[in-house]
Amino acid sequence: MELKEKLQILADSAKYDASCSSSGSTRINNSGLGNAHLSGICHSFASDGRCISLLKILLTNICIFDCKYCLNRRSNNVKRAIFTPEEICEITINFYRRNYIEGLFLSSGIIKSPDYTMELLIKTISLLRYKYHFGGYIHAKAIPGASTFLLKKLGSLVDRLSANVELPTENGLKLLAPNKNMNKVSEIMGFVRDNRSKSYVPAGQSTQMVIGATNETDLDIMSKSEGMYNSYKLKRVFYSAYIPVNKDNLLPTLKMPPLKRENRLYQADWLLRYYGFKVDDLLDKQNPNFNILVDPKASWSLRHLDEFPKEVTTCSYNDLLKVPGIGVTSAKRIIKSRRYFKLTFNDLKKMGVVLKRANYFITCNGKYNLNQELFSKNFIEANLVSLDSANKLVSNVEQLRLF
Amino acid sequence: MNNIYIYNGEFNALLNLLAYFFQNKIKPSNIKKEGYLGNLFDYVINLNLDNKDLTSQFINYFGKYNMHQIYYVFLSNEDNKELIIYYYLLNFFKYRENLVKMRNLKCVNETLRICKKVGNEAHRFKGFVRFKELKNKILYATISPDNDILEIISVHFKKRLKNEYWLIKDEKRKIISVYDKKDFYILKEDELNIKDLILSDSEKDMERLWKTFYDTVGIKERTNERCRMNFMPKKYWHNILEVSGEIEKSC
Repeated sequence: MELKEKLQILADSAKYDASCSSSGSTRINNSGLGNAHLSGICHSFASDGRCISLLKILLTNICIFDCKYCLNRRSNNVKRAIFTPEEICEITINFYRRNYIEGLFLSSGIIKSPDYTMELLIKTISLLRYKYHFGGYIHAKAIPGASTFLLKKLGSLVDRLSANVELPTENGLKLLAPNKNMNKVSEIMGFVRDNRSKSYVPAGQSTQMVIGATNETDLDIMSKSEGMYNSYKLKRVFYSAYIPVNKDNLLPTLKMPPLKRENRLYQADWLLRYYGFKVDDLLDKQNPNFNILVDPKASWSLRHLDEFPKEVTTCSYNDLLKVPGIGVTSAKRIIKSRRYFKLTFNDLKKMGVVLKRANYFITCNGKYNLNQELFSKNFIEANLVSLDSANKLVSNVEQLRLF
Repeated sequence: MNNIYIYNGEFNALLNLLAYFFQNKIKPSNIKKEGYLGNLFDYVINLNLDNKDLTSQFINYFGKYNMHQIYYVFLSNEDNKELIIYYYLLNFFKYRENLVKMRNLKCVNETLRICKKVGNEAHRFKGFVRFKELKNKILYATISPDNDILEIISVHFKKRLKNEYWLIKDEKRKIISVYDKKDFYILKEDELNIKDLILSDSEKDMERLWKTFYDTVGIKERTNERCRMNFMPKKYWHNILEVSGEIEKSC
């Protein structure tokens, strides 16, 4: 098979993994080729608007597993290919020198056994690091069920290691991925957490969940994320809207991948990691799913309207973060500057506060920027919904509930 | 009458001019590069100062952080960047270390905004530069950024592609950064004779492979043209291999 065709098959099978980040590592270039950039670098953007920073490929799409949602499941009749370690090194080095990519993202189907697959991954990456002296970013997939000493070896070669939980509950996994089990993934995460150091998985670990393939609620998904952030110190959880690539009566039939839902989950994920929110604040048993029309933070604020408006000149950093339209950057700027001069709404705007959202929730030196009489849940909610640019974009969001 | 002071366009010359203003308590109406013609009410002054290297003196006085800020502003394509720098430093005499917190001052806010703009563009180009391999293994790239970021990205590629010879040409400013495996030098285009670039034998194959990867990796069901354009504006496309072919199609 020609190299070009292999690349096409093995990039096509790898593209459903959402992770693209190349950040968090400070690997330096010791007279070889390449280094890591702490903030990560996006080199290109694909037609779906996702960033391309790593050469994201599978080592092979041959797989002994039969996960229902996966293109490469054993029972699917697709063209199979396998890269040799040398081929992967050649492509990576040549792409890297030309600055097409920030590094390599290597995953694989399970060929023969988890250990055998893992050994192939290690062989490839060792070759890249030691023969080609490659110092760029490498993200590898850990294969669940492989031996610990292989996990130890692989982790010492790469910047980031990840193992996908795929589905938030054990039941979902049993239904759609009968060969996988949650414990094996947890074992990997636990091992990486306990061994992480400057020379072992320096950029940390991440994972991914497929959204909308089973009937889990957002509460199930976010609780799983929160649990993993807390117990395994994950860097990121990625959410990937389910795209039907296979037909199976266990799988839902969707017209469109649930992109809006994915978007809300990412917004909530940020609230967990940077804004001091807990899943309990955002969702509960009565409301287990996010509002599609309003983002999670705004919808929290609307439910806690008695805490607003907040006075930006005096309230704490944590309170500032709770205001829709104020993010981490603008909150820090406000805290830094407000001791030195009297803030005005105009200054807030200059600092990056999105006033058209924040206006409803703040006072500045005791002044409310809008008509105080209109401070009511219905009025604010109606206005926030019309501001959400995503609502205008996604044409199939039904305009319901309001007015 | 507007007193417009002109300088030769070099950073150090600007520092000398600013030092002159501060010492003699002169308030310029504007500061422009040589070649500025001016209008009816302009009085164009060229002081022809004896330019001394003032960089370290400025760093000592204003601090590393502020010097970094004004250097980035200097690299930008803003119309009145010299005047913004003048007012920024002028306010340093009043606010000292707290200057950067005074976001209500126009010159501070503008300085921070422009710095961010230049830094962002430089960061983008760390990703968007596309090298071609020439017959003699030298890597060659052309870029046309809005701001003068060639030096910033050269520092990056010096670390990254340590063991390669590379050239990056800024088409807009007609300057080239040349790296010789030790350090990089920024030269004017006419100081260097680069004609008849012959690509290496494998170059076309690699480009085809990359194009294959690029076309494969986008998920059709999620196509989002607007999102792609936000992150990778069309103005850069003609130098980005994988999308340069799409420009003609969409025109």
